[in-house]
This record gives sequence, C-alpha cells and structure tokens, in this order.
Amino acid sequence: MTDQNKDALTIRNLTLDYGERRVVYDANFALKPQELGCLLGPSGCGKSTLLRAIAGFQSLTSGEIRLDGDLLSNQSFSVPAERRGVGMMFQDIALFPHLTVDQNIGFGLVGWPELKAQERIRELLDLIGLYNLGARYPHELSGGQQQRVALARSMSPKPKLLLLDEPFSGLDTELRERLASEVRTILKSDGICSLLVTHDQREAFDFADRIAVMNDGHICQVDTPFNLYHEPTSPFVAHFVGPGEMVGAKVDGPRSVMSPLGVLTNDTDLGFETGSDVKIFLRPDDLIHNDDSDYTAILVDKYFRGAHHLYEVRLDNGIVLGCFAPSHHDHEIGERIGVSLDIEHLVVFPR
Amino acid sequence: MFSYFRILRPNGLLIATFGAALCVALPLCVVLSFIVTTSSDVWQHLVDTLLLRYISNTLLLSLYVAIGVACIGVPTAWIIAFYRFPGRNTLSWLLLLPMAYPAYILAYTYTGVLEYAGPILTWMRSVDMPDWVMSPFLHIRSLTGAALMLSLVLYPYVYLLARAAFLQQSANLMEAGYTLGQSRFSVFRRIVIPMARPAVAAGVLLAVMETVADFGTVQFFGVQTFTTGIMRTYYGFGDTPGAAQLSSVLLGFVAVLIILERNSRNRIKYYSDQMRRLDQAAQHLTGFPAFGVQVLCAFPILFGFLIPTILLVNWTIFDATMQSLWRLAWNSLALAGGSSLFIVGIALLIGYANRLFPSRSLSYVTTFIGLGYALPGIVVAIGVLIPFGAFDVWVSAQLAPWSIKPQLWISGTLVAVIFAYLVRFLAVANGNVVSGLSRLRPSIDQSGRLLGLSQTRVLTSIHIPLMRGSVLTAILVCFVDILKELPATLILRPFDFNTLAVRAYELAGQERLIDASPASLCIVLVGLIPVILLNRSIGKL
Repeated sequence: MTDQNKDALTIRNLTLDYGERRVVYDANFALKPQELGCLLGPSGCGKSTLLRAIAGFQSLTSGEIRLDGDLLSNQSFSVPAERRGVGMMFQDIALFPHLTVDQNIGFGLVGWPELKAQERIRELLDLIGLYNLGARYPHELSGGQQQRVALARSMSPKPKLLLLDEPFSGLDTELRERLASEVRTILKSDGICSLLVTHDQREAFDFADRIAVMNDGHICQVDTPFNLYHEPTSPFVAHFVGPGEMVGAKVDGPRSVMSPLGVLTNDTDLGFETGSDVKIFLRPDDLIHNDDSDYTAILVDKYFRGAHHLYEVRLDNGIVLGCFAPSHHDHEIGERIGVSLDIEHLVVFPR
Repeated sequence: MFSYFRILRPNGLLIATFGAALCVALPLCVVLSFIVTTSSDVWQHLVDTLLLRYISNTLLLSLYVAIGVACIGVPTAWIIAFYRFPGRNTLSWLLLLPMAYPAYILAYTYTGVLEYAGPILTWMRSVDMPDWVMSPFLHIRSLTGAALMLSLVLYPYVYLLARAAFLQQSANLMEAGYTLGQSRFSVFRRIVIPMARPAVAAGVLLAVMETVADFGTVQFFGVQTFTTGIMRTYYGFGDTPGAAQLSSVLLGFVAVLIILERNSRNRIKYYSDQMRRLDQAAQHLTGFPAFGVQVLCAFPILFGFLIPTILLVNWTIFDATMQSLWRLAWNSLALAGGSSLFIVGIALLIGYANRLFPSRSLSYVTTFIGLGYALPGIVVAIGVLIPFGAFDVWVSAQLAPWSIKPQLWISGTLVAVIFAYLVRFLAVANGNVVSGLSRLRPSIDQSGRLLGLSQTRVLTSIHIPLMRGSVLTAILVCFVDILKELPATLILRPFDFNTLAVRAYELAGQERLIDASPASLCIVLVGLIPVILLNRSIGKL
C-alpha cells in the first residue's frame, strides 16, 4: 500500500473491451501528484478508451484504477463519473453553447458559496488571460479562446486529476504548439495532476513530464520525453517518437558493435552476446554534417527546416541515413559532403 | 437546347423571379393598404362588438394548441431520442402520420362519431353513464375541441424538431457535465433541456401559425376567430374592405410569429453541429418500462391517425352515398396537378436565377417569397379577390362601348385560384428546389465543362439527373398542400366548381358527416405520401 500513497493515479493490469473487440491489454501506469502525463500513440491504439475508463465512461474487463489510493473502478465496481473528482477536456471542446464563459466555467461550482465561486471564476479567467470576456458566448470566441475556456471549466471544481482528450487536434499547427506549452504552464502553476492523450509526438514532448507510448492496445514504454527519444526500448517507440533509420550490425564486444559505419562504442554494457546479429537505430542527430571530415557521403535529398537542414545522405556502402546540418550549410543534391558520427549512446535491438 | 439558352438569358430569368415576388407581394400590399383607408360602418360595428372576441378566441386557441403540441411532441421526441426499446423505430415514423390529416377532417370525423345520435353517446346513454362523463364528448364542438383537433395533427412539427435537437446534442456535452460533478438529473435540467428549447419553440410557433390560419376546424366548431370573422364579414356582410382590415390585423399576428420563429431558428444553429451524437448514450429499456413508453407513443398515433382512419374507411365502405366522387377527384387532381407543375416551374426559374446571377437583392426577393407560406389562405384569397375584381370591372368598362356584357373575366375563374396557390405555395416548391440546387456545386458544372460537355449536355447529363428527386418532391408536396387547402379554394373557385376539400366542407356544413368521408379519405390517403417521403429523407438521423 505504501507505493500507492505516493502515486496520484494508479492503473493496474487494466484490460478494456469495446463491444466484442479488445482495445487495451494489461496496461500498467502511474502518475505522481502534480505530474503531467501523456498517453501517446497512433489513432486506434486504445489511448482514448483508456482515458474514458479513467473518467468513468467505459467499464473495465479486468484490472483496477485508483486515485489517491481510493478505488475508482474495477471489473465489478465503478464510482459514477460525477463523483470521481476527475475533470476532462474534450476533443470537440464541448463548451455549453447556451451559457456564457462565466456560466460555463462556473457550471461545476454549484454548491460552492456564491462569493467563493465568483472568486474562483475570476481567478481562472485571469489564469487563461480572458478576464474581460466572461460575458461572451462560446460562438463569439476564437478557437484558441474556446480551448482555454474549456480548460478553465474543467479545472474549476479543483479536480484531483484532469484528463485532456486530444484537446488541440482541431486547431491549426501554430496555435496547437503555442497552446500545448501554455496549458502546461497553467496546469503547473495550479499544481493539477493531468493526463493528456495525443497522437502528436511534438505535442506530447511540449506538454508532458512523462509519456506512456501505446500501440495496438499495449503500453510499450513509460518514460521521460528525453529517454523516449534517446533510449527507446522497442523499434516501434524508436520510429514513433522521431525520425531515424535501422542499420544491421554485429556485436563484437561487451560495449561495441561492428557496423557499416565502422566500430561503434557504447557508454555502458550492451547486454548482447558477442557475435550476435543486431540492428542499431540511428537518428539524424547521430550523424552530423562537417565540412572538415574525411568521411564523405552523397547528398540524395534535403528538407529545409528553418533552423536547420535535414539531409539524407548515401554512404559509400549504399546505406541511406538522415543527417542534421546547420541552416546556412546549403549544399546541392548530388554533392559529396563531409559527415561525422556523434554518438554517445547506442540504440540496439535484436535482429 | 435553343430554349435552354433563351432561359439562361439574364433578363428572362430575373424578370420571372421579380415577377413572382410581385405576385406574392400583391395580395399582401392590397390587404395592408386597407389599414390606411377610412373604415366602413361595418368595421366600426366589428370593432365595437366582435373584434375583441376574435382576438381573445384566436389567442386562447393558439395558447391551447401551443400547450397541446408541446405536451404531445416533446415527451414523444424525448422517448424516441433517449431510449431504445422494441418497436422504437416503427413508432418513430408512425408518430408522423397525423400530419397527413387536415385538422378540419379530423374534426368532421370525431364529430361524426361523438354526436348525440352517434355510436359512443348512444352506448353511454344505454349504460346510464353519469352526465359529467358524457359532457366532454357532447362539447367537442368548442374552442377546446378545436384546440384538441389541431394539436393532434400539428404536434409532429414539435416532435420532429425536438427529436432532431435531442439527437444532435453532442454526447460529449453530457459527459462534460458528469465530469464537472453533475448528476444525471442535473445534466438534463441544465444542459439537455435548455439546448433543445429553441427547437421546441420553433415547432410550437409553426403549429401556432397553422392554428391562426386554420379556417375549416374553427368554422365547423363555431369558434369565432379571425379567419371565420373574415369569412363572415366578406360573405355575411358583403363588406370587402372590412374583411381586408380584419385580414391585416391577422397579418400582424403572423408577423410576430414569423419573427419569433426566425429568432429560434438562429439559436438552433449555434446549438447543433457538435461531433459525437447522443445516439451512443441512449438507454435500453425492456419489460414494463418498455411497455410504458410504447403505450405513451401509441396514444397520439391512435387518436391522430388510426381511429379516424378506421372510421373513415368504415363509413366510406358501408354508409356513405358516394355522389359524384369521381368528378370531384378528377377536379382536385387536375387542379392540384396543373397548379403544382406551374408553381414548381416558377420555382425552378427562381432557383436558377439565384444560381446564375447571385446578388443580394435577389436573395432578399427569394426570402420574401418564402413568407408566402405564412400567409393564411383566407387572407390570400381576400388579397387576390380585391384586385382581380377591380380588374374585371375595369375591363368591362373598357368593353362597354362594344356592348359586350360585363362579366367576371378573371376573378371568378381558375386563374384566380391558381394565382392564390402560387402566392401561398411557391415557398414550399422553392425550398425543395433550392435544396436540390445546393447539391449542384459550381465545381460540378465546371468540371463537366472541362471534361468537354457543352452547356446543354451539362444540363441534361448532370443537372437533370441530380435534380430529379428534389423536383419530384417539390411537385408532390405542392400537390398535397393544394389538395388540402380549403379557404382560398372556397372563396375563389368558379361557380359550381367543386374539389374534394370543398365538397367535404359543404357536406359537413349540412351535417352529412358520413357522406363527407369518401372525399376526406381521399385527401388523407394522398396526404400520406409526402409524410412517408419526409420520413425517408430524415431516416438517416
């Protein structure tokens, strides 16, 4: 019981069915108080169903969900959604169109003393930066403003846990990126433990302290954004959280592999038997463009990303890899350019 | 093909559209012009004696019908939208059937079965039923009775709009309510009900518009409202200006109703258009609760359709003398068929004008034409009769030098009748045509042209196949509306020209209710067709 007291949200051996179909298999996941978590995965991976189970809109096949140590639901018991103390921000925003901003935010505050409710609404309006728009109706607000009102509304009764179901997916790219970090700041300043569901890896990285990557109903890895990117534990996670290429290699020592790029050495033991065939995963930032390097490759494709270039280069042995280059190093396709390796940690998978 | 290009010439199309608008405007302007003319003695007499009664009866009737349609329409819509039970799908469209009945036919039918010598009261007397049980049946011919008849046939407006509003609410909104700590009851009270309110209001207002325009029911039940007052002033006192002045007061009522209804419609727009439909949140019922809601939904179908239809069929087969039914049916068919073809033709011209030469003034004109449907038939009739009569007088005066006898050149002919239909039903045809045309996006025309089709081929191979359904619907809906129409036909028809509706009205007026049943049954059976079509077009909901 001791570890449960430390975690705000605990999900244990959770299995969920949607009709006949199993959508979540044996999921385990926990969030600490004030932590911002994220369920990241492609569409149809079961992440939204998992979220709805936490909110109380989906019954459990097996396993259990606890909040602050109290049982919320298992296969035979379920606290009704309205008594869970769990707030939720919906994908379609779901603001009440017949109520003003003030009334929307105050919707969950029935039973609060009038003065305290007014104070809470004002406080939240300040927090989302819309303090003078309280009398407006939802259709009179821009998409980004509606989003922030929806956030304020879900925060207003001070839920123990806030769920966010792809809340930014309906917005355009620029607004989406700004809001993800804005919402993070707001939630951090209010200290609400939150769980975001998204299929967008950048949104997840902008928002979360810790991310659970899901695929086909399984939680593949739970880690910090940094570790997910640099130390993925499965090829799926490696590919899903950012670009990179798999290259065949052979283990030739406890910390080194023989690869088409030469012998590569890891900072820790690899845990593979010497002589076994493996794959190594190389991200574009493992290979950097360097005009002074003796090692060269042919530029086959390039994508300008503003602050930098993403090059695709073909090595002499025919292998194609991604490679980052500074923005002002603008080479022509077909040119031979110098590259050098910059690998601290090897990502190795069995073949 | 040649003619197609001629139709496309801007002037022809635009002239047709503005001409149609003038037709709609004519009776309106004529009636309203009498507000400013000096009042006749009869009008003064009306103001002193009857006007107050007309106003209070019309208002009271509207109030009762508003309550009645809301009490039937909202709970049934609620049950169909929020619960799943055996028979739910069937009941959901059976609930539309009473729409096939004009209220006056329902009134004739119930009076026929409930009158003193009728089967029900005869049986009640034979078992010595106490008076207080029998008296409501005896007093079917009253304002309350009229409200009941009107409610039974008009509640589908509320049912349809409320059902759509309930179904279109996002399930996420309800779930948002739950995650904010609200109970199921509180979510219904604070979210579902307020959000459906504009749709219910729009439905009730439509029903009230039909109520103030109703003539057949109130006339038969002897309730003195505006429409019967207009008829009485016109026929009884022979006072056309007085009838026109009464008409303009009635138009004032209608204008208020139109404004309120538009207002509600605008709010509905904000309230729908959400993502996940409520459908997934519906509750399954079995056993006794399922039986309970089945019975509740069956009530309005039973009294609004099933019982009267059984009575009509029964009387038609066994009791009625079917005098000249074929002749009546042919008159109705030819008149309604010809008129609806003409009206839909005009609607097509207006539709294409809007499409080819879109402009702000044109869209205003089209909106204005839409108001024609809100004009009570009797007001249209008075508004047509006055200028047409004046025209006849003028023509006769011109022809007098050649010693041609004065006669009713147009006012006593079918031209006047069809003109009145055009004013009243062009809006109906227009609505269907516009919805058909809106499916023909300009990019469809353009891609047809880019694929090498001529303008004419675009019309024949793209527009006509795509438009066929909505044009047929337009013709059919017009046809049925004309078939049911009573007051305008009654006033404007040529001498001795009878239709099914007029004959049913006349026979009922002579208390030959049983003999009225074959004509009534024809109207109801034909009236079923658009109801079934309507059900099919909203079936996806």
